[in-house]
Formats: sequence, C-alpha cells, structure tokens
Amino acid sequence: MNGKAARGRFIASFLAPAFALYGIFVLWPLVQAFQISLYQWRGTSDVVRWRGLENYRELATDKVVAEAVGNNLYMLGVGGLLIFALALLFSHAVLANSRLSRAFESIALFPQVASTVVVALLWQFMFHPQFGPIPLLQKSMGLGEFESGWLATPSVALPAVTVAFVWFATGFYILLFTAGLRQIPGEVNEAATLDGCQGWRRFASVTWPLLWSIRRTAVTYLVITVMNTFALVYLMTKGAPDRRTEVMLTYLYELAFTNSEWGSASALAVVNFLLVMALAFGVRLLFRRDPTAART
Amino acid sequence: MEMKSPFSFSLLSLALLVVASSCGPAGTTTASEPESGTGGEVKVAPDAPAAPTGEGELKGTLEVQAFKGGYGLDFYEDAAKKFSESHPDLIIKVEGNPRVWEQLKPRLVAGDPPDLMYPGWGMDHWALVADGQLMTLDAALDSPAAGGNGTWRDTFEPALLKLGQQNGRTYVLPYFFNVNGWWYDKSVFDANGWAPPQNYTELLSLCEKIKAKGIAPITYQGKYPYYMMFGMVLPWARSAGGAEVIDRMQRLEPGAWKDPAVLKAAEMIVELRDKGYFETGATAMTHTESQADFVVGKAAMIPCGTWLFSEMKDNLKSTNQLTFFLPPVLGEGKGDPGSVIVSIEPWMIPAKAKNPDAAVAYYKYMTAVGVAKRFVATKGTLTAIKGSDEGSLLPVLQEPSRIFKASGDVWSWQVRDWYKEMHTEVENALTSLLNKELTPEQFVDRCEAAAEKTRYDASIVKHTL
Repeated sequence: MNGKAARGRFIASFLAPAFALYGIFVLWPLVQAFQISLYQWRGTSDVVRWRGLENYRELATDKVVAEAVGNNLYMLGVGGLLIFALALLFSHAVLANSRLSRAFESIALFPQVASTVVVALLWQFMFHPQFGPIPLLQKSMGLGEFESGWLATPSVALPAVTVAFVWFATGFYILLFTAGLRQIPGEVNEAATLDGCQGWRRFASVTWPLLWSIRRTAVTYLVITVMNTFALVYLMTKGAPDRRTEVMLTYLYELAFTNSEWGSASALAVVNFLLVMALAFGVRLLFRRDPTAART
Repeated sequence: MEMKSPFSFSLLSLALLVVASSCGPAGTTTASEPESGTGGEVKVAPDAPAAPTGEGELKGTLEVQAFKGGYGLDFYEDAAKKFSESHPDLIIKVEGNPRVWEQLKPRLVAGDPPDLMYPGWGMDHWALVADGQLMTLDAALDSPAAGGNGTWRDTFEPALLKLGQQNGRTYVLPYFFNVNGWWYDKSVFDANGWAPPQNYTELLSLCEKIKAKGIAPITYQGKYPYYMMFGMVLPWARSAGGAEVIDRMQRLEPGAWKDPAVLKAAEMIVELRDKGYFETGATAMTHTESQADFVVGKAAMIPCGTWLFSEMKDNLKSTNQLTFFLPPVLGEGKGDPGSVIVSIEPWMIPAKAKNPDAAVAYYKYMTAVGVAKRFVATKGTLTAIKGSDEGSLLPVLQEPSRIFKASGDVWSWQVRDWYKEMHTEVENALTSLLNKELTPEQFVDRCEAAAEKTRYDASIVKHTL
C-alpha cells in the first residue's frame, strides 16, 4: 500500500512538469480565448464589457466568415486532392531508388524548409502581371491574360493561392507517403506480381489499402494545416480582391488588429478550433476501419 | 485497431496545439490583461483625466514613444535635446520604431504607457478614447503657448485641431498633416504642352491626349483603395452634391450613400475605367509600385497625399518635377471647387502618463512656430502650426501650401478612423467596382448597407462631426 503510493508519487513527479507546461501554455490560453470571446475588448486597455454569446451570434450572420470558411474548404478540397495526387506520384518515383530519385527526395522538402515569407514572395513574383513567369507563359501560349495578374483577378485569385499552397505543402506528404510505401512488405508486392497484379491494379488493390494508416495521418494533418493557414495568404493577398482569398485566420487578424474587436476575434478562434476538431473527428470516423483488417 | 487510443490522443494534442498557436494574438496579449473585477457587470470607461498645462516645474523623466516613418525620429530627438537645455532637471527619452504600436498596446493594457506618444497608423486611437486611455487636452490648449503670445490653442490650424476632438473635448493633437490631391510631373507636361486639368471635363480631354501618346493617363494604388477614396470618390461626391453629402455619410445618416452625388462619383470612376484612362493592372499595385510607374513616366497622373515626395525621394531623377493639384472636380458641381481633403497623424498623452506636465511642455515647445518651421524645412511636409510654412518651402510643397491657405473648405474623411470595419467594406466594394463586379448602383448599395450595419451595431462607439 505504502509502496504503491510512493510509486504513484514517483511517477507523478515525472509527469508533473509536462502537465504544468501543457496547462500553462496550451490549456490556459485556450480557456482565456474562450473567456475573451464572451466580452467586448478593444485590446487597448483593461476595460471589457460582457457580451455573452453576442460575438458568436454576429459571426453566424457575418458574410465574411461564411466566405472565409468556404475558401478554407476550397483549399482543403482542391488543394488536398492535388497534394495527394502529386505526393503519391512523386513518392512512387522516389522509390525507384536511382541517383535522380535520391536527389529528388532530398530536395522535395525545400519549399517547406524555406520561410513562408520567402514562399509568398516567390509566388507573388510567379504571378506578377508584368514579369511573372506564369502570366508570360499563359500569354505565349495564346491563353490571353489577366490585366491585373492572377492574384488581383477575382475569378482566379483563390486557385492561384491554392497552387502556391500545394507547392509549399506537397514535399511533406511525399516524405510521408514514401515512408508508407517503404513499409509495405516486399513479399506482398512479390506475391501480387506473381498473381499477375501489376500497375494500376496493384496500386488500387494492394498499395492504396496498405497505405491506410498513412492516409489517415496525412488527411488529419492536412485538415489542421489548411484550416489554420495564415501567413501564406496574408503575405500573398491579405484576403484581396474583395475577400476572394480571405481565410478564417486572416479575418481573425483583421478583427483583432484592424477593428480592435478582440472579443469577436477570440470567438472566431474558438469557432475555428471547434471546426478543426470536428473535421479531424470526421476524418477519424471516415478512416475508422482498417481495410486490410476487414478482409481477414 | 490497437492504434486507436494513442492516435486519438496525439490528434487531440495536435489540434489543441494548433489552436493555441492560431489564437496566438488573443492568447499572448491576454496574459498581461488584468481582467479581475469584471465578472459580468458592465464597466464603463472612466472619465478621462485632463492633462496639466505644462506650466509647472519640470523634473523626472519624460518618455516619448514615436512612430518611425518616412520622417524618422531625429527631429524629435533633436528637439528633446534643445528643450532639455532649459530644463536641466528633466531627462527626456525619445524612442520609437516602424511598428511602435505593437509595443505600446500591451503597455497601455498593463497601465504602464509612456508620457507622450505618436503611435502611428497601427493604433486605433479612437478605441483608446472610448476606453478612457487618453487625457483631454483642453485645459492645456487654453493655457499660454510656448514663449509666444496667446493660448496654445491659437497656434494650431483650427480645421486640423478639430480632427482630434469629440463631444467638445480634444484628445489628440496634430503635428504634421497631409493634403490629399493629385500629382503630375511638370517637366513631362511642359514637354508635351499639357496643363493640369482644372475640372473633370478637362480631365477627360487631357486623358485622351495622354493616351494617344502611349502613356497611361492615371495610375492608382489599387491594393490600398483608400487612396482612390481620398483622391477621387469622396472629392467627386462632395463636388457633385456639396459638403452636406459627405457630412451625412460621416454621420451615418440613412440613405447618405444613396445620394445621387455618390452615385455620380462612382460613375465617374467607371467612365475613366471604361475609356481606358487607368493604367493597366493598377488594381493589383501597391502604393510604391504605382508611384514608381508615375515617377518614371509610365503614367501621367496619380492621386496621393503630400507624403508622396518623401516616400519616393530615392526614386526621383533630377528631371522629375512632381507637382500637386486638386482633384479635377465637376465644373458645374455644387461643392466648393477649392475644397481640400486633409488628414492628420495624431500625438496624444495617455491617461496614465507619469509625467504629463513635461509631456505638455515638450509638445508645446515642438509646436513653437520656430521649431515647426524647422520641421517643415527639413522634413518636406506641412505642419498644423499656423505660420510654419512661412519660411523656406521645398518646391514640392509650394502648391499644397498655397492651395490649403486659399481653401475655404478644408475637410477630412474620418469614417476611416472611426468605423474601421465599415471602411474596409467600402474599400472592398470599390475594388469590385473597378473589377467590373459591381455596377455604380450596386457599389452605393453595398456602402449603404455597410453604413447601416455600423449604425445599428450598439458595440461600435458613434462619433459626431
């Protein structure tokens, strides 16, 4: 009995610092954000005014929030599909194990290693209406041009930002899928080959199901990354033109720093948190069952 | 299947971490927010204390925090040195940087502000007023000016002093100010035999001539639509319908934006756009990009304030002769054709300043006409101090100064400072108008809706003209 309590204390003493740090730096700010979201606070004094759920009610009818969430989901859907397609393609290429593929594997992560500021500047240049390579290419191929460039043209601004995001993010997923492909036992592939299962067929029936756990991790991580996109969008467009590239966190920034509405900004942070949690939970449900386990 | 529980834990912690970082701004600032004693009850901003007159004996430390923009900090530092010569017991600290408001906000929240501040464009000074964070300056303004005759109040241009007032009280003071209008390059115009247009009809015929030469007649800072608000939409609405139209918009009166004068202004923008008088791609341009195109002669005219010269100093060639002129308003409009739209960058004394007496005295010294004249001469901008432009003026300032003095209608667009959310919506609507996504009618409808939303939002402090 005594020994057990001592052992408990011993274990607790090891766990305490981690819990304390987590509590102070993760849980407490979260609680505070929720608390502020119930007040009006201008962020310039200690004066606050109770608003209850009023900040949330306003967000619910705010067209900008709806547009921003829509843009986040667009980036998640379109960007996500592109990222996964490219990552799967490139990770197969990396497995070829040639000198070229090894070189590629080491540079695939470069965009992610580079600072977001650099990435944003690079893509601003890529889309620049006067000297950007993409508009020049577009013009030389006889595809017309956007007078104000891609990033200021309402119909293509969001696709352009999504392209930049895909370029930035794909490297990480190549890494992830490459690891996943390497995990698939050689004998499984050999058996498939012996059974005459090759190419697309082998990918669909063997590789894809066996990538299940990697896919689940990848989708979860993607949801979190896209729904919390801020710096890339803020630096590239600040949500322009007319909110076409606004995402939740750029609007949160505007609420807090331009409009001095920290209560509304915190409410949006809470909404964003709940939305990410809900989506992540949805992903978990979607990938609930291991398809290979189901077959046995 | 066994993976389930460790996975869900890592998922939870990941999501939490991400949100913790996503609400970083709220999270970090609230750490210093003393929120005690606010358990639900409405807490009204305390009555703002009044600043002293600066007449007392000065001692201790005076801390000045200033935005380091195009005009630097050296002038304020130099003034501090000269001022402290006659006040040996006073130590003056002048500090600042280009994002000084970021350091000032947490200090204001924590109740430890400097004694005098010029926090720059990132500070919402009307929010400070609403929260009772600034001293009222009227007692100080009614006390004697530095070394001169009359009251301190008399040293300021009244139209500019008014911009820092609310409900009959003065909260912020101007130092230098901006005159907004249009610019052309005199050397380019002279070489082509062009003259700056006196009204909108002349503008149209001039644009046709400029376009024929292969030069873009007008460029603008499309990424920041407020330049076009200050340079075109608002002056044109005031010209078409008179001062009352703008006043009604600033008072958030129902239907103010639907006035035919505002619609007319939007139609003028669309006319210039459709006739191809705007530089191609200008909606995508930053201020520096469009201004650079103007300076190198790719575009002939640009709307901008008097800061244009100092901002573009490094890009100018010796042949450039940037010259200011008033927005070419309607020849037959109801408004005063000499009407001038100005803006100030305010200085203020926090309610919790520790040495407000010294702050007032130092700022009085800065506004002594001799000191202000030196600012005008060295920094190339006008100040709100009467007579400060009577010394040597840079050529680039001569027109703005003459026009400002001759004008019988000096006004400002305070909606941009008062109702930030509404102004963003108006600017976005202007972008969409330029992008042909809105008709002029839809543009005014959207602005009207934004004004209405502001009018009915009880959480937004309303201002009076």
